[in-house]
Amino acid sequence: MELDWSFLGNAVHKVVRKLEKKNLTHVEAFYTYTKTTEVTIRNSEVLTQNRMDDSGVGFRIAVSGSKVGFACTNVMEEEAILEAGENALAIAKVSPEIPNFTLPQGRSPPKVKGLFDPAVAAIDIGEAVDAANRAIIAAEGFDKRVIAKDGRFLYESGWRGIINTQGVDFEERGTRVVAYLGGSGKQNGEVTGSCYYLILGRTADLEPERLGETVGKKVINMLNPRRLESFQGSVIFSSEAVSYQLFEVLTEALKGDAVFAGSSVWAGKLSQSVASKILTVVDDALIGGGFASRSFDGEGCASHKTPLITKGKLAGYLHDATSANVLETRNSGNASRFPGGFDMIRSIIGEGYRTRPEIYPSNLTIQPGNSTKDELITEIRKGILVESMAGFPQAGSGVISTQLSQAFFIKNGEIINPVKNGMVSGVAFDWFKKISQVSNDSKQFPNAIVPSLLVEDVKIIGT
Amino acid sequence: MISLEDLLKSEMVNQADLVQLRGQRRRLITCTVKNGVINDFSNISLSGGSARVFVDGRSWGFSSTNLLNPENVKQMLRQSLKLSKASLKLKHKKLTLKPIPIVNRNESTPTRKPLQDFSMEEIAEIPLEAYRGAKDLGEYVADIKATFIAIEDDRLFLSSEGSRIHQSNTRVLLFIDVLAKRNSLFCPASENLGHTGGMELFDETSPYSLGKSVAEKAIRLLDAKTPPAGKFHVVVDPTLCATMLHEAIGHPLEADLAMSSGGFGNQMGELVSSELMTIYDDGHTLGGLGYFIFDDEGVECKRTYLIENGVLTSFMHDRTSAACADVSPTGNAHAWDYSVEPLIRQTNIGIEAGDFSLEDMIEGVKEGLFLEGTFGGQADANADFTFGFQSASRIRKGRFVEDYRGANVAGNAIEVFKTIDAVGKGVVLRPGACGKSQFALQGRAVPAIRCEMMVGGTGGH
Repeated sequence: MELDWSFLGNAVHKVVRKLEKKNLTHVEAFYTYTKTTEVTIRNSEVLTQNRMDDSGVGFRIAVSGSKVGFACTNVMEEEAILEAGENALAIAKVSPEIPNFTLPQGRSPPKVKGLFDPAVAAIDIGEAVDAANRAIIAAEGFDKRVIAKDGRFLYESGWRGIINTQGVDFEERGTRVVAYLGGSGKQNGEVTGSCYYLILGRTADLEPERLGETVGKKVINMLNPRRLESFQGSVIFSSEAVSYQLFEVLTEALKGDAVFAGSSVWAGKLSQSVASKILTVVDDALIGGGFASRSFDGEGCASHKTPLITKGKLAGYLHDATSANVLETRNSGNASRFPGGFDMIRSIIGEGYRTRPEIYPSNLTIQPGNSTKDELITEIRKGILVESMAGFPQAGSGVISTQLSQAFFIKNGEIINPVKNGMVSGVAFDWFKKISQVSNDSKQFPNAIVPSLLVEDVKIIGT
Repeated sequence: MISLEDLLKSEMVNQADLVQLRGQRRRLITCTVKNGVINDFSNISLSGGSARVFVDGRSWGFSSTNLLNPENVKQMLRQSLKLSKASLKLKHKKLTLKPIPIVNRNESTPTRKPLQDFSMEEIAEIPLEAYRGAKDLGEYVADIKATFIAIEDDRLFLSSEGSRIHQSNTRVLLFIDVLAKRNSLFCPASENLGHTGGMELFDETSPYSLGKSVAEKAIRLLDAKTPPAGKFHVVVDPTLCATMLHEAIGHPLEADLAMSSGGFGNQMGELVSSELMTIYDDGHTLGGLGYFIFDDEGVECKRTYLIENGVLTSFMHDRTSAACADVSPTGNAHAWDYSVEPLIRQTNIGIEAGDFSLEDMIEGVKEGLFLEGTFGGQADANADFTFGFQSASRIRKGRFVEDYRGANVAGNAIEVFKTIDAVGKGVVLRPGACGKSQFALQGRAVPAIRCEMMVGGTGGH
């Protein structure tokens, strides 16, 4: 069932050469081949074993300067690929101009280590089932009250390639592994909410026992929750909470296209103070083995490490070729064909070759501090530790008012009890200014490598 | 897709209790206008197939590919058999899937204005008109995004039991997001339209008027205060009610989630909600985004009553969960496309209409809030939820006294639905989406409801 990658590459090159002869400004073809082996878990059992193969090519074509169209196909025949290119051209002709549209020039991408593990590419379904089962046993063996509710072990291996008429012509092979387990606990008829843990990596050595035990521990910690009184206090947002809601707010404010559209709160604030002096943030696609590392972005721009916030001061934005062109700055290589976050429209269309790139972080990295998360807890007089929050932030305005799905009440430097049904509420941009400590234990998430943050004076809502 | 039919004749089929084959062609047209510029205009053609097999009464295997040549589809079936056997040693309990009616059917969505009658220029005009509707409201409109999407699906289902079902449908959607800005204050608002059917979607509500109404709302919110925090008697409009119903009541009624995690588990036949609540799931709701005659296991998607007058009567099932619970499957096995396995999903979930007009519901509130619109949200399988609403109004002695901006509501939906003391008589069919492991478009048929709920406002009491 394997696709012949060189066949696809050759076919795409041929079609691009044919299209080039027409009267157009730019041609770009992005093509991928991915094979995915997946084992799912449900109710303490391995549920299904799946294998998904997918390949395709997406064309962006610009005519008359910057009238742009996109079309794609997954029918891997030269005729169908040419038809997709011609569809993109037909759309470009009826589109109005995108001001300052441009594509990157071909510059050799750097070498990034640790993106491919042959053991993932050759994963046997028996091994994958075994890993999933070991995670279940570790979680439920941790304590008999734990139920391994749902989970997923996913091994992905593939190629991506990009060609444009500005000299870009690169390919890269990569593997990715995702191990996820969610559990809950039952005691005296009461069931805890879901507690989950996620391990992301590029290699097949997944540590399913660590995954299972971590979930087991999380579940037991959540038993016997108590309601909270409302108060204003210190909050430790653990790396999970940072990687989701706070990450979304940060990302939205840093996107170059949001800056020139004026919808970013941080538009026009370069070198101004936007956060506590303790906060330093970079986007780094070059980290060896990083989950979102890559040698070139979704438009073929060579990857960089880009300072975004340096000691609280805004140092840069996330750009693709067009936004960098508009703001007359360096392209940071953040055109992504696999952006994260929830976007209904993208969910319908799909990712990779099915979509035009959009600006998104690679590995958005917060520089770690000196103390562990546990040490941060000892410094709190009255507050909470938020392991995870449910609900979306209002990414543009930074408003977060969200339920504490996994949180603990802290008094005089000690965890007192898990929290039932509380909320935190505020504006994340204010919280960034009130960060008093950053922990030293960063964790990898799909597009972020982040530690825990201690934020002072946050509104906590009880019931 | 002929090669799939040949595949069923292969000897490999005999190795499984059941083989389900699916083939699909999908064409998507999308056009996004951001601040007046078409920044994404796409034509997406996808096709592929999958094989799903059940072996030895215990285990499923699934394999999919976009390369549909005869050799490859054979390999796909071989692969799914290998996968299915990989966990046999871990599974001890055997299941007998209940027999389902064997059918040979061709189904297509009723469409009054087919997509193919529209040129690319005419399609581009739809989000452009929505943009103009919003833009015409002036300087405070800072950011406008309008997206048109049309999805045309042609799907074939074949099973070793003998069913052959060909279904084709078209779904059309329009999304509008507006951000109003004054000084450093940002206020978002959004609205979606969507149905299973053709371009007649815009006959009743023009893209221009929709864009205008979203921008009006965003601008109005610039003058509103932040909402208060605490527990309130609230009237929930159908849009927010749709999100609550789907996320916080619907998910716990899906058999796979129900059986694993509290929520409604083990309460069949018991009073679990307000007696005013009758809740169903119905794939045959015309126009709903979850309009399907058959699901992806070949089971008809008829109306299933889940809660009747507050009493739990059924979960939503696929064939496996139905066999576990010893009931008939309900037609809720759906896959987003050929490439992924079917999961238990809602189709068009609905609440039956009550007796109250919206005015009556508001009049009955001494001190509370009217909550409007949704920014989506999420819920745990135990029915704990957090959802964003777009705007609110303070109700005092049955009258609106003050407007507020959006924030979140939270709580446990099962507890919240027990407090429902009024159900509206006007049911609205809303477009919806869900991301349970894979994406799905669904419908929600919902009235306004009145209940008690916690609001996580950023303002004072």
